[in-house]
Amino acid sequence: MSATAPRLVRLGNAVAVPVTRRGMTYAWSVTALVMVLAVATLSLGDLGVPLDHLPRALTGGADGAEAFVLERLRGPRLVVAVTAGAALAVSGSLFQTVTRNPLASPDVIGLTAGAGAGAAAASVFWSGAVPVPVGAVAGAVSAAMLVHLSTGRGFSSPSHVIIAGIGVAAMALALIQYVVLVGMRDQSTALAGYLAGSLSARSWQHAALVGAALLVLLPAAALMGQRLRLIEMGDELADALGGEAHRTRFWSLVVAIALAAAAVAVAGPISFVSLTAPQVAKRITRAPGAAVLSTALTGSLILVVADLAAQQAPVVRDLPVGILTAGVGGLYLGFLLVREWKKGTL
Amino acid sequence: MSGDLLLRARTGSAGRQTRQRSPSRRALPLAACLGLLGLAVLASLALGSKAVSLPDVLAALRGQDDPYLRSVVDSRVPRTAIGILAGACLAVSGVIMQGITRNPLGDPGLLGVNIGAAASVVTATAFLGVGGGASTVWVALPGAFLAMLLVHVVGSGRHGATPVRLVLAGAVLTAVLSAYVQAVTLSLPAVFDSYRFWVVGSLAGANAETSLQVLPFVVAGLVVAAMLAGPLNVLALGDATATALGAHPSRTRLAGVVAATLLCAASTAAVGPIAFVGLAVPHIVRSVVGSDHRWQLPLSLLLGPALLLAADVVGRVVLRPQELMVGVVTAFIGAPVLLVVVRRMRMAT
Repeated sequence: MSATAPRLVRLGNAVAVPVTRRGMTYAWSVTALVMVLAVATLSLGDLGVPLDHLPRALTGGADGAEAFVLERLRGPRLVVAVTAGAALAVSGSLFQTVTRNPLASPDVIGLTAGAGAGAAAASVFWSGAVPVPVGAVAGAVSAAMLVHLSTGRGFSSPSHVIIAGIGVAAMALALIQYVVLVGMRDQSTALAGYLAGSLSARSWQHAALVGAALLVLLPAAALMGQRLRLIEMGDELADALGGEAHRTRFWSLVVAIALAAAAVAVAGPISFVSLTAPQVAKRITRAPGAAVLSTALTGSLILVVADLAAQQAPVVRDLPVGILTAGVGGLYLGFLLVREWKKGTL
Repeated sequence: MSGDLLLRARTGSAGRQTRQRSPSRRALPLAACLGLLGLAVLASLALGSKAVSLPDVLAALRGQDDPYLRSVVDSRVPRTAIGILAGACLAVSGVIMQGITRNPLGDPGLLGVNIGAAASVVTATAFLGVGGGASTVWVALPGAFLAMLLVHVVGSGRHGATPVRLVLAGAVLTAVLSAYVQAVTLSLPAVFDSYRFWVVGSLAGANAETSLQVLPFVVAGLVVAAMLAGPLNVLALGDATATALGAHPSRTRLAGVVAATLLCAASTAAVGPIAFVGLAVPHIVRSVVGSDHRWQLPLSLLLGPALLLAADVVGRVVLRPQELMVGVVTAFIGAPVLLVVVRRMRMAT
């Protein structure tokens, strides 16, 4: 916790966001980093728009090849990375706060895999009949319910939730393999994209979808974040202070599932962003609970970095970005586990 | 036998499940497992993108009938053989891993041992140019062993291993290693014509040599496993009691690790990493015959191949003429078993 008391930034009567100096510094520096990496994403590599052309190109003065790169190849991809990363991160933060379980993020409990299965089914089996986001939401809700049922005690026990999540994720990934095999025969790269999550060949429609979801859901998440902080003091006290514990939890999970589903619908079940981003943000800003803006920015940063690596880094080039996040994020999960065990909380 | 007396002496809630059962109550499951295995073998020979009627299968096996049917059935024989071997390996190593760690969630797939073996093979093939043929198992062995060791060390921490920790450590290892395997196989498509084989496991690439190459390892692993039946029963009583009774828990565990490593490496080298068979089969067997390892092991030995072959047949039939890989089907059949086990488990927090 910060030594200085946070200032309150008010938006009408309903929302008052506490702002610490540390949090602000963090948010601004992460924003700057994302900007730098965005410029790098657009300008590096064979097809990149040269740096000196970039300001003109971005303001609409691009000619043929550069316009194609900006508008078709890298632009949408970059925007999807920023928005999907933010959505995943905030979703993870809400989950972790509601369940009071640092490991219960949508990727660990099998929710993103379920959303991926729903999205894959919607795009391959019922393409046209069922919109992909609807499929993703249905998949995410089914996965969450399955985990909830099979733990026998809701989301509260970290170990039950995670193991049930492993099972649900395994089933969902099996479903994705089946769906993709039915739909596209033997394309291993396409399959890997569906299984791990990929950002290649995204369009502005994809970007618009996550963007719209963020526009609606981020304020909702901020509101929930406030209420959730009350709940952290205990249900009775929260109720007395107007926190309405049960309703807050329910709606927080609804917002979290919707955010994760929106991200997965456009980018596939990218794993470990929603686990790591809230933790990183929390550790650096030292803010309790979910500081929505910092978390969202951290998620964007992680996914933009991973995607830049997937586009330009020598060894891993052209791999689906989800494989990179799985590799690095998996190690981070291991680190978290060992730390929890040392504390004796798991 | 001492194990029997000890099992009968157990009291309380655990004792209910392990009470002595009459021989007839065990002969029946044994016969049932044999029957299931027989059915699965026949189905594996008869069904697929081209269905062959049972009389034709038998005729073709005897070497008669028209050459087309014979070639169809002949092509399914090695696949069935490798399915039997791999299923036996997975199920028996599951029993051993659940036994030596007293962990109901033991499974070579869940604990990351199979993907460890796969990563080892993929590394050797991609960067060292070794592997292929008989050496595949030798390459898979260190990977399986290291994975087992790593999961155990990470999962144990300071306060000793718990089922949950082992599974979580396994999940981490699986996430990292399968990302690695995917990355390598996707980056070098020329080296790995079948990328998915090393990520999920499949019986499709099996040929007669594969079975022969892994056979010695399978036999060695099964022999060690067979000798462990009694010691595992004693180990089930807890380390302190087992030691007091003159048993050697650490020796049992070491032998168990050796057997499980051999079996996991052999099955992964032959069919790729397959999860959940080693989890599901011992649980099903235990619910029928109780926790006596002298029954668990042989029944798992029969039921594992039956389950794997059945899953393979399902994978061949659902997408005709395409095939769904057996690892996908076992995940779908086996993961619900994990959910049921989790629901029953009483865990810390």
